[in-house]
Amino acid sequence: MIIIASDKALPPNNTSASTDSWYESSARQRVENLLDANSFNEFIGPELRETSPHLPLFDLPEQFDDGMIVGYGRLDGIPVLVAAQEGRFMGGAFGEIHGAKLTGLLRAARDIAWLPVLILFDTGGVRLQEANAGELAIAEIMRALIEARFAGIPVVGLVGGRAGCYGGGGLIAGCCSALAVSEQGRISVSGPEVIETNRGLEEFDSKDRALVWRTMGGKHRRLIGGAEVFADDTVASFRDAARFLIKHAPSMSLEMLEAEQFRLTQRIEQFGTCADAADIWRSLGATKPQSIPALPHPDFVALANDLQEPHYVAR
Amino acid sequence: MTTWDNAQRLRESRKRAGALYARGKRVEKKDATALLEAVIQPGDRVCLEGDNQKQADLLAVALAAVNKEKIHDLHMVQSGVVLPEHLDLFELGIAKRLDYAYSGPQSQRIAKLLFGGKIELGAVHTYLELFARYYVDLTPQVALIAAVSADREGNLYTGPNTEDTPAIVEATAFKDGIVIAQVNEIVDKLPRVDIPGDWVDFVIESGKPFYVEPLFTRDPGAITETQILTAMLAIKGIYAPYGVQRLNHGIGFNTAAIELLLPTYAERLGLKGKIASHWALNPHPTLIPAIESGWVKQVHSFGSEVGMDDYIRARPDVFFTGPDGSLRSNRAFSQVAGLYACDMFIGSTLQIDLQGNSSTVTADRVAGFGGAPNMGSDARGRRHPSQPWLQAGKEADPDSPAALRRGRKLVVQIGETFGDKNVPLFVEHLDALKLATKLDLDLAPVMVYGDDVTHIVTEEGIANLLLCRNNDEREHAIRGVAGYTNVGRGRDKKLVQQLRERGVIRRPEDLGIDPLDADRRLLAARSIKDLVRWSGDLYAPPSKFRNW
Repeated sequence: MIIIASDKALPPNNTSASTDSWYESSARQRVENLLDANSFNEFIGPELRETSPHLPLFDLPEQFDDGMIVGYGRLDGIPVLVAAQEGRFMGGAFGEIHGAKLTGLLRAARDIAWLPVLILFDTGGVRLQEANAGELAIAEIMRALIEARFAGIPVVGLVGGRAGCYGGGGLIAGCCSALAVSEQGRISVSGPEVIETNRGLEEFDSKDRALVWRTMGGKHRRLIGGAEVFADDTVASFRDAARFLIKHAPSMSLEMLEAEQFRLTQRIEQFGTCADAADIWRSLGATKPQSIPALPHPDFVALANDLQEPHYVAR
Repeated sequence: MTTWDNAQRLRESRKRAGALYARGKRVEKKDATALLEAVIQPGDRVCLEGDNQKQADLLAVALAAVNKEKIHDLHMVQSGVVLPEHLDLFELGIAKRLDYAYSGPQSQRIAKLLFGGKIELGAVHTYLELFARYYVDLTPQVALIAAVSADREGNLYTGPNTEDTPAIVEATAFKDGIVIAQVNEIVDKLPRVDIPGDWVDFVIESGKPFYVEPLFTRDPGAITETQILTAMLAIKGIYAPYGVQRLNHGIGFNTAAIELLLPTYAERLGLKGKIASHWALNPHPTLIPAIESGWVKQVHSFGSEVGMDDYIRARPDVFFTGPDGSLRSNRAFSQVAGLYACDMFIGSTLQIDLQGNSSTVTADRVAGFGGAPNMGSDARGRRHPSQPWLQAGKEADPDSPAALRRGRKLVVQIGETFGDKNVPLFVEHLDALKLATKLDLDLAPVMVYGDDVTHIVTEEGIANLLLCRNNDEREHAIRGVAGYTNVGRGRDKKLVQQLRERGVIRRPEDLGIDPLDADRRLLAARSIKDLVRWSGDLYAPPSKFRNW
């Protein structure tokens, strides 16, 4: 059994673990509080010191778990496999070891365990220092994920961390059976700064954070069908979402892929000419789109269900 | 024959020249540059209003567009060098000499122009010092100012961001200068009069709000656990034992952490009502939880802060507001308050040397001072006693008779031993010295002099410099909290241990603080959205600080 180091520092405000902010929590705190108490068993834990072979070349500090925690545990008694990225180590970026741990977990899900997989994303994409190894890791993970899904295993992504879910992480999220995202969570491939650098300030002002969240944030992803569940920023809410999505995740089949293709085609037809997320929300039928970013969680969930029923059949 | 009204006559001729472009006092936006060409003469001292917050941006653009055959060699006397146009003036040859106080975003470019000889530098001042010189030897002949609105008579409403305007206008209008105001709009009735119309010569309607930088907003989401530890040390090791009630905070994340620990950590230490009740401070959004929890009795502000106006309006018991309900700020008065009526200044810096001198100037950035050296200095003219002031004075000079002993203001530098990008906070020699050599300056731009500093707080502990009896002790008190920087590693361990036994250096464990308790969950607000919730949705953060 793994002892979670964060237990030592008592929560000063006596907040219970389940109302803890997901955004604020470390990867280990998320895993610990998401799963049933004391049910988590880590694979290749930090004591094995499987660190990055690349970072020392750049005189950069390593982390003993390489920013990726993988293991086995129970969620309300249901056995699950879990992977969690630590967004505070190198922005949760994928490197060789980091990626290999997730690839291995997904292969184990398919070949050995036959268990649902939860991926707790918190990543800016590929680690630049491990460029090729990191890119290869993304490809291997996507393949392993699709193969697991073809074998009938639900793979559910949870997005609500500091680093968001960008780059290769965005691609992997796109391959998942279903996603839950919170208001703070962001899902995209190119990040705001990358878009601004390549396409100019007029195209995308990366410092306009309201614009960034309107375009890539959790509420928008939920409204355009990029995520099935909109979670509140608490461990409890993500826990509910994970349990729900494991049950409702669609299985991978030709029919499902065709339905997904149809959904995406419709989406580009309906929204392709919109210049801003607010235009999309208006065309979905929102009467006061400008008020959506500030809506509290329950109000937004109700509005989103009104405007756009989540699709579970297509993914 | 001696004439005694030359300046008055010159003023009248400037006014007549400007009147060609005016109807009454009103000048159209398109004629702004022509007005300036008519009113300003080569070699004039011109104050272009702008500080670390608001900017007379329309007038800056208009001045940068004048014909330099007509207008050249201006002597700019202004608080802030902030907008690109402020430096374009020098590049274009419109202005030659500069006396200023603060430069934020332009600090790199100003350094280049100084090195290139494009700017003839008078001096880098503190705000208060520059205002003082407006009344002695740097009185502006023309002041270009910014207000929210004007009425037909030229009365001005400067509103929550009044800031420097009264100090500038008073010096200019009463010494035969010309005052030109840009206003967002001209209205029939002002909410209140901040500047009387007969001190104002020309008014230009800009049609949009003047620029304001949200410089005092710190996102709680970016506060680190090391910063929280330094904040805990400061509260338990300085605020509590001295009983500091009247104070000013800098704008760094360490002091933002202190503000956010008042309703949590400090509350649990039983300090409510005993510390941090009266402030000379801008309306920091991170102060909202402390205000809402009843910690803060009164705040006087240098300026406002973007997004805070509705919140301030709803808390008039705390802030200075006008009959219209909106904040009235005044940089000059708030600086005076910080100098004479506060018992503590606490702020961060970029470099501290072995004597305790500190500076935010680095080899290629000339940031200027703003208000920090004024806040962060002992007021030698102070005569009223207070508990923290007397106690600090006693620690510094235990042997003098109490009735003849000067008190001391607490001047605290707080930071991590390695700052942004892992740059060490402690250095053998300030970069400011190199800059002084390079530019042949008489004075190195030192933000806070070592002999004014009373305490240095890092994650390694607190150094109380008041208790040091000689330079060697002082140096080792500083080395003793400098962590693994080269300065810290250069310590004599035995001497540091002795200083610790005497309480000159206090480690977290000496104060009963467990560094593992420095957790973000201690912060009363952990995000900008938390601050909005604390404010009852009255705080409206600017877009750049939102993550929703």
